[in-house]
Amino acid sequence: MSIKILHKGIADSIQDSGRYGYQHFGVQPNGCMDNLSGTLANYILQNDLNSPVIELHFPSSKIQFLDDYIICISGANFVPVLNEKSIPFNTPILVHNNDMLSMLQPIDGSIAYIAVKGTYNEPNWLNSHAFNAKRFNNDDILNFVTLNHDLKLTLQQLIKDLDVSLIEQIQNNLFTNKEPIRFLPGPAWQDLNENSLHDILNKPFTISAQRNRMGYHLNGPKLSTSISKSYLSSAVTKGTLQLLPNGDMIVLMADHQTIGGYANLGQIILVDLPRFAQMKNGQPFKFRLTNLDTAQTLYRTMYAPFKH
Amino acid sequence: MKGIKNEWSFYSLGDHAIVFSLAAKMDVQILQKIKHLNEFISAKKMSGMLELIPSYHSLTMVYDITNFLSSTEPASTQLLNFCNNIIVEFENYLMEQKNIQSTLYKVPVCYEKIFGIDLENISKTNQISCADIIQIHTAFEYDVYSIGFLPGFTYMGVVDDKIKINRHDKPRNEVSAGSVGIAGLQTGIYPSNSPGGWQIIGRTPWKIFDPNPNKLAKFKVGDRVQFYAISKQEFDSLNEYN
Repeated sequence: MSIKILHKGIADSIQDSGRYGYQHFGVQPNGCMDNLSGTLANYILQNDLNSPVIELHFPSSKIQFLDDYIICISGANFVPVLNEKSIPFNTPILVHNNDMLSMLQPIDGSIAYIAVKGTYNEPNWLNSHAFNAKRFNNDDILNFVTLNHDLKLTLQQLIKDLDVSLIEQIQNNLFTNKEPIRFLPGPAWQDLNENSLHDILNKPFTISAQRNRMGYHLNGPKLSTSISKSYLSSAVTKGTLQLLPNGDMIVLMADHQTIGGYANLGQIILVDLPRFAQMKNGQPFKFRLTNLDTAQTLYRTMYAPFKH
Repeated sequence: MKGIKNEWSFYSLGDHAIVFSLAAKMDVQILQKIKHLNEFISAKKMSGMLELIPSYHSLTMVYDITNFLSSTEPASTQLLNFCNNIIVEFENYLMEQKNIQSTLYKVPVCYEKIFGIDLENISKTNQISCADIIQIHTAFEYDVYSIGFLPGFTYMGVVDDKIKINRHDKPRNEVSAGSVGIAGLQTGIYPSNSPGGWQIIGRTPWKIFDPNPNKLAKFKVGDRVQFYAISKQEFDSLNEYN
């Protein structure tokens, strides 16, 4: 009556939309790195959109189902195989007791999500199942409780309801769109010197191998401020571009600390954060400035299909 | 979106947060205003407001775009109006407040060498006896300027110049929960075992962060803290980690 981690991956965990309202205690929000894909997987299964999902990085956990479930895999294409047979993603799939799911190789993207039709029967903490720094171990049991009615019938209905054009649009945005990553300037933006201002807006950056759920370390031109300055720590958000004293940037991600004292150059806008989270190491990209009104209009458009 | 109103400046932080800010100084007058603005906005219980995070001279509000703002008017216009109105209302509110008191906590610390692992180092670096370091550290009331880094990590200031000391160049792999340290002009408490670079002078038996949802962090920004020295024996009897 559960899902078992046969063999743990490098950094897999249970996530949801995260926990807000406790950062003044220093408690991080956590949550899905690519919230769009996590939401999409739940949407396809007609779950509550905040339902806990399994977040997989690569190499991913090998999973055994100890019951029959309907699941949906979204996000990165890691070539999912069920009992050695390839299965599609972004569609509901019926799995049976003792079936084994593994991920063969990372083709597109960096993070995959598995949503499960049913309920996750574990206690939450401060209204979220996303725990900071908690990763799967071998033999972990994930207490997902399956539906107690006809799974085949439910499957047919879910497949009938699939919004194929929405799925395609989201996949294109996440994995085909090579447009610059858009951001809004932060409080230390005007402290950058002229060369650095030019470089950040014109030169390519890549995500280095030093990446985890706390932040992505970037490779690219070294940046510096026109005067050496220290900043009093203040709140940061996911997507914050922090300039380190050595001239490198770190982009803060879902498990970021609540406050930061490095130069805050800007914030990646929410609609571009899933695409950024999914980028592979070494894939070149550029940054582009945008404005608040555009960012919010894009955000409303992106999440509008999920609202009904 | 950014603006200035009287002594306040405000600006959007990315597309789902705004910051209210005063002069960038570690100053108790500034801290108290931040604390009161926090309480003032918090009491409004606005829909779509996700977080209020005070820290030193700033208060950051994180919001849910679709619940906090309407789609009929540009976000920047709505936020500019919101911030201007908040500051006007807040300044009126502040004038009506009398005798605003902060909570003062008297916090026990065992400064014996088994816990105060950097006392000797500070003593050598600053040419001051260990007894004097303890005497000076316990002589002042400190203000809580920020909570963060780890759940419950408490940043306080300002420590006396005679005991100020830089962080270790290389952080320790593990500092024990309850450790009380100094970094520059700040003193702080580690809420849990973690890597850390502060110079450790003692340990409090108090659990300053408890995951129990009714407890969480012992202190909040704007509270005051005064330490007092206890023996190892007292530490053991008060130890909340048992």
